[in-house]
Amino acid sequence: MTSHKLMMLVRNKPGVLARVVVLFSSRNVEVESLSFVPAGHGDLSRVDVVVGLREDRTSDQLMKQLARLLDVVHVADVDSAGDTALIA
Amino acid sequence: MGRGAQALIRALEAVDCEVIFGIPGGAILPVYDPLFESTKIRHVLMRHEQGAGHAAVGYAQATGRVGVCMATSGPGATNLVTPLADAYMDSVPIVAVTGQVARPVIGTDAFQEADIASITLPITKHSFQVTDPADIPQVIAEAFAVAAGGRPGPVLVDIPKDVQVARTTYRDATPPVYHRAAPSPADVDAAVRLIASARRPVLYVGGGVIRSGAAPALLAFAELTGIPVVTTLMARGAFPDSHRQHLGMPGMHGTVAAVGALQKSDLLIALGTRFDDRVTGVLEEFAPGARVIHADIDPAEINKNRRADVGIVGDCRVVLAALTSAVRAVGDLRDWWAQLDALRETFPLGYDRPADGKLAPQYVIERISALAGPEAIYTAGVGQHQMWAAQYVKYERPGSFLNSGGLGTMGYAVPAALGAKVGAPDRQVWAIDGDGCFQMTNQELATCALEGIPIKVAVINNGNLGMVRQWQNLFYGGRYSNTNLNTHTRRIPDFVRLAEALGCVGLRCESEQDVDRVVLEAMEVRDMPVVVDFVVGENAQVWPMVAAGTGNDQIMAARGIRPLFDADFEE
Repeated sequence: MTSHKLMMLVRNKPGVLARVVVLFSSRNVEVESLSFVPAGHGDLSRVDVVVGLREDRTSDQLMKQLARLLDVVHVADVDSAGDTALIA
Repeated sequence: MGRGAQALIRALEAVDCEVIFGIPGGAILPVYDPLFESTKIRHVLMRHEQGAGHAAVGYAQATGRVGVCMATSGPGATNLVTPLADAYMDSVPIVAVTGQVARPVIGTDAFQEADIASITLPITKHSFQVTDPADIPQVIAEAFAVAAGGRPGPVLVDIPKDVQVARTTYRDATPPVYHRAAPSPADVDAAVRLIASARRPVLYVGGGVIRSGAAPALLAFAELTGIPVVTTLMARGAFPDSHRQHLGMPGMHGTVAAVGALQKSDLLIALGTRFDDRVTGVLEEFAPGARVIHADIDPAEINKNRRADVGIVGDCRVVLAALTSAVRAVGDLRDWWAQLDALRETFPLGYDRPADGKLAPQYVIERISALAGPEAIYTAGVGQHQMWAAQYVKYERPGSFLNSGGLGTMGYAVPAALGAKVGAPDRQVWAIDGDGCFQMTNQELATCALEGIPIKVAVINNGNLGMVRQWQNLFYGGRYSNTNLNTHTRRIPDFVRLAEALGCVGLRCESEQDVDRVVLEAMEVRDMPVVVDFVVGENAQVWPMVAAGTGNDQIMAARGIRPLFDADFEE
């Protein structure tokens, strides 16, 4: 397992956290820690999550899967310099 | 002032919904009252919510429009789970509207309460729970846009009963607009360079080409470059079967030529396809010498199973148009074509008549295809008959073969055919079903009979769960545990009498010389659904086959016959 620290901005819509967490379980991703705090002007929340991935998996794939969730506005792998999937 | 329920019907009319497949119940009852008055929306009263969901999928696949199904809370909603999962796997745009118990009792284990939004989280593209009736028009507009936009998929709209009855003023919605994603010019250039230097390229075409309406663009690009084409199970019809450049379907039951082409290719041009395990076999042994151009509208598909040398994020239609205008040179493909032509000549699709003299299922399907023709729509269940329908029906146009490819849902064929016929009433619609599949959803024939939806059903009745039996034959030493359905031995049910009980014409065919006559008789019935019980041999097997857990090089053209690709190809 390799740990990856991801940062996400999500819209404060009902069920958004559930959708993110279910994606982790259905894609076989281990969650080591997770925090969910208000951000922006109350319409967004920030999710900081440390996930464990098998050695042969990159965080890139997971970030793209998270980015296609409608209420996920931004995803970044905090440890890697390379940015991110950004949704309008 | 109207009520939430009226706003919902008006909102559905505003997004050009013309048909809803559904069943009323307590928590959706308020919606059925204004629906009764709608002159724009037809409601088809189904017999099971699973049928409603598959009908919406069939409608969407046949028309390219968004399919709509409706159910009440609790068990009505949970019965939609299978079709939602099916639509998610095969990227079909549907909207499911479910009633929910009233907000004050949500979370109290109320009668017919189920948290359907949570249950369907991993199998929906998105879901909405409406809490204010004023939001209904906007939610419906967004649900339709999300279902159809980008990579299509299912969307759930859950509406509590008190929101349906609450007073509200209807306001027109402003739906979000999705543009067809255009590829980056740099990616297109990189792809064009790879195409120019390839000696053994293959167009590996998936269902995304059909979803994006890219079949004409594919034909133009293929003819311009002369590159061979393979079409996956979800892409059958995306490229004409009669075309010289078409090598057939790849994968576990693909043609030897299509599988061989992928294995020996030096460049895969993968379009709207997802390198599914049923196509690749053991991933490490798949197309070992090929570089990969992978174009898909969903960036999460690129590099998921196979690393792409060039990933192109974009709508297949736009990508193909860009490639067609950018491509300048293509390598000399004459040697490659000589090898592929030899392969398809040596190992054509074929079958033997059963040794016991019984009717060959492949022959039945071949004749239905020949007599009903390429303008018909064909649906299939899941199993042997599905693979034969993919192999032996000749498809010439996109949207003519509907099946449950990703999820593999037995019971899909009849309700999907119903939905397809509603969407395309002028086309002949044939459900090619198995006797196992047919017993899962045949109740929807009552819907067909009463609603005037004259589909035709060919039950390829081999008396068994045939694909499972085939695996038991090959991998479990012929120990046929629980696969005999006794539809032969005891004729329970009698499919002819069952069909008649459901308001259909029931026919039976047991011998080869009767096949044409019975198919033509079925085709002559225009005002009622028809079921034909084709009693076929139980020992027919689906060939070619790449056994699960092996690589594509291990393909068996038939039992004991393994093409040795290396002898056929000079590197």
